Amino acid sequence: MALGKQQAIEVGTTTSQRERRKQLVLLLSRVWAWVFLGILIVFFIVSVPIVSEGSVTFLTVRNSQNILVAITPVLLLGLGQTFVIIAGGIDLSVGWMMSLASVISALVIRETFNVGQPLLAAVIIGFVATVVGTGFVGFLNGTIIARLKVPAFIVTLGSSFIVRGVAFLLTDNTTVIGLPPGLRDYGNNALIYLIRGEGGGVYFLNSPDVTGDLLRNMDRVLPYPVVLTVIVVAIAMFLLKKTQFGRHTYAIGGNLEAALRAGIPVDRHIISLYMLSAVTAGIAGFLSTLRFTAGSAVIGDPLLLSSIAAVIIGGVSLFGGAGSVMGTVIGALLIAVLTTGLVMLNVLPFWQFIVVGVVVILAVLIDQARDLIIGRFESE
Amino acid sequence: MSRKLLLVVVSLVLVFGLLPVVSTGAQNDLPKIGFLPGVVDPFYQVMQLGVEASAAALGVEVVTQIPPTWGVEVQTPILDAMIARGDLDYLIIAPTDKDQMIGPLETALAAGIKVITVDTFLGDGDYVNGPVTFPISYIGSDNVEGGRISARGLAEAIGGEGKVYINSTNPNVSSVEGRAIGFNEVMANEYPDIEVIGLDFNLDSMDTATQQTAAVLQREPDLAGVFGTNVFSAQGAGTAVVNAGLGGEVQVVAYDATQFAIEMLRAGTVSLVLAQKPFDMGYLAVQFAVADAAGVTSLPKRVQTGFAIITIDNVDDPEIARFIYQVPGS
Repeated sequence: MALGKQQAIEVGTTTSQRERRKQLVLLLSRVWAWVFLGILIVFFIVSVPIVSEGSVTFLTVRNSQNILVAITPVLLLGLGQTFVIIAGGIDLSVGWMMSLASVISALVIRETFNVGQPLLAAVIIGFVATVVGTGFVGFLNGTIIARLKVPAFIVTLGSSFIVRGVAFLLTDNTTVIGLPPGLRDYGNNALIYLIRGEGGGVYFLNSPDVTGDLLRNMDRVLPYPVVLTVIVVAIAMFLLKKTQFGRHTYAIGGNLEAALRAGIPVDRHIISLYMLSAVTAGIAGFLSTLRFTAGSAVIGDPLLLSSIAAVIIGGVSLFGGAGSVMGTVIGALLIAVLTTGLVMLNVLPFWQFIVVGVVVILAVLIDQARDLIIGRFESE
Repeated sequence: MSRKLLLVVVSLVLVFGLLPVVSTGAQNDLPKIGFLPGVVDPFYQVMQLGVEASAAALGVEVVTQIPPTWGVEVQTPILDAMIARGDLDYLIIAPTDKDQMIGPLETALAAGIKVITVDTFLGDGDYVNGPVTFPISYIGSDNVEGGRISARGLAEAIGGEGKVYINSTNPNVSSVEGRAIGFNEVMANEYPDIEVIGLDFNLDSMDTATQQTAAVLQREPDLAGVFGTNVFSAQGAGTAVVNAGLGGEVQVVAYDATQFAIEMLRAGTVSLVLAQKPFDMGYLAVQFAVADAAGVTSLPKRVQTGFAIITIDNVDDPEIARFIYQVPGS
């Protein structure tokens, strides 16, 4: 009797210790990207002035804004992708989808403006056309994947070729130009303008009419593309965390059979996920049209791999069922901080590739190690 | 019935058998020319205009095939199909790879088609002493020379001193690599007061070009100029320059005078545009083919078509504006 009680107590202690260790591992695996990002930023804050002998600082308002602008396309491409991968799929068409969107929005904005509409109306109509156009392609992707049961990898690979062809056809392989000059402001102006130094100040919404040193010392804080991206990210976060839509996404990626048996409309849900992915990529293309005042059939393709890297660094499991929007934000931030920091350190450009590659593999390793450790805890 | 068939066959044989004899007899020195550029784009479209203008002037027939995308795998099947036609005497081609296209073009030569390369070349481009000598000529403006001209243009624009930066697309792509080599060479040899502070690869992404240039502007606040090795790199770099409030102060050079580049020039995003002369390349290539067919043996193995530098001051000058890559109807 006494002995049995003793045993029970021992087992109880070890279980709670194990539980604590398991929680620790879980916590570490969840925050490692944050920690890594923090270490990286500290590293650049320290190393950039050393390498430049004190003439350059990493931590500036301008640099923070440059990095925010740089992550917008990668983040938007990765945003819908986050949902798709959590649900156990993959969307390889996002890069070319961004290109198609860039072409569609440029053509629509130009033609709408040319028939005499005000610029703002042209921009809004261009945005709507982009969402509708890319949403339609996403609908086709999702329908073939969900209803005809063709693997997502194949469908989106195939549709990326089709999308590419359509974009080239629409443009005749030239850049879509002749856009209204004022468009540049939509893609490059900001909510807040900060002029440093003598005669400086803070301005809101409208770019102050300054020249020379004042213009050089002016930082654009929260450029419009960043603002729009923040809004889209906030919606995505809400969608994934707080709604039935999000819960269904996790359920489908976690266990498809169970999701089906639970009565989740799986097919319909998968279709809407690919539409979401296409539309966020479309918004990236729309923004690039505003930023560069041109539509290009090749603008998005080079960003595909970076965007998938961002999603994976952010801890989304390629096997589905796990991940978060915040993770993808951190992943995109990590890549942008790396690129900017390494350029500021003036190392050979090839290091940018190597470091990003190492971080991606590291992310997956940590992901797997977590699963392994948790699995060991549970099997014991 | 069978006699009728025989009659038809005999007459067909007669017609088709005699036709070539008749036609070669009539137009002894007018060859039929194939034109196979690298890819559908404004540069080659302007080259095609040159080819057609030249062909019209000389009264020769040209068969044009344009690959939808750049690459040996795309260009070779089209080349094979053109060889298989059997009626071409000359081929004007922009080889998409200096080594991999040697074999397919030797096949063309074996089929009796003489080769002229435009814009790009085979081997090392030296058809006299180089590893490849069979093409009649290489007509084009080479990228290294283009890099040199860009460097001189930029050096002049920044007053011969200061720091400059190169933003390029991908490593190991001969065209943009050559441009950077020529650029570095001139800056090192001719402008001791100019320092090339680095080169980044944007992997063909305008967004990345902007990010990299913005970071370089942070690192080197006194940067004087940027060389964008293609139009996209220049646009990405120029966007960063303008957003940093340095538009017009940091000079940006764009390689290739597409209409997009010219629009950027007018908007102040770039300050110098380097124009090649694709029209000249196409026009001369047809002239060379016809001359060779007529027995001219002193054709130069290498023709440098040169460049024009377009700035905001001369862009409206018709003498310069004609070098902008303009395709009617687009």
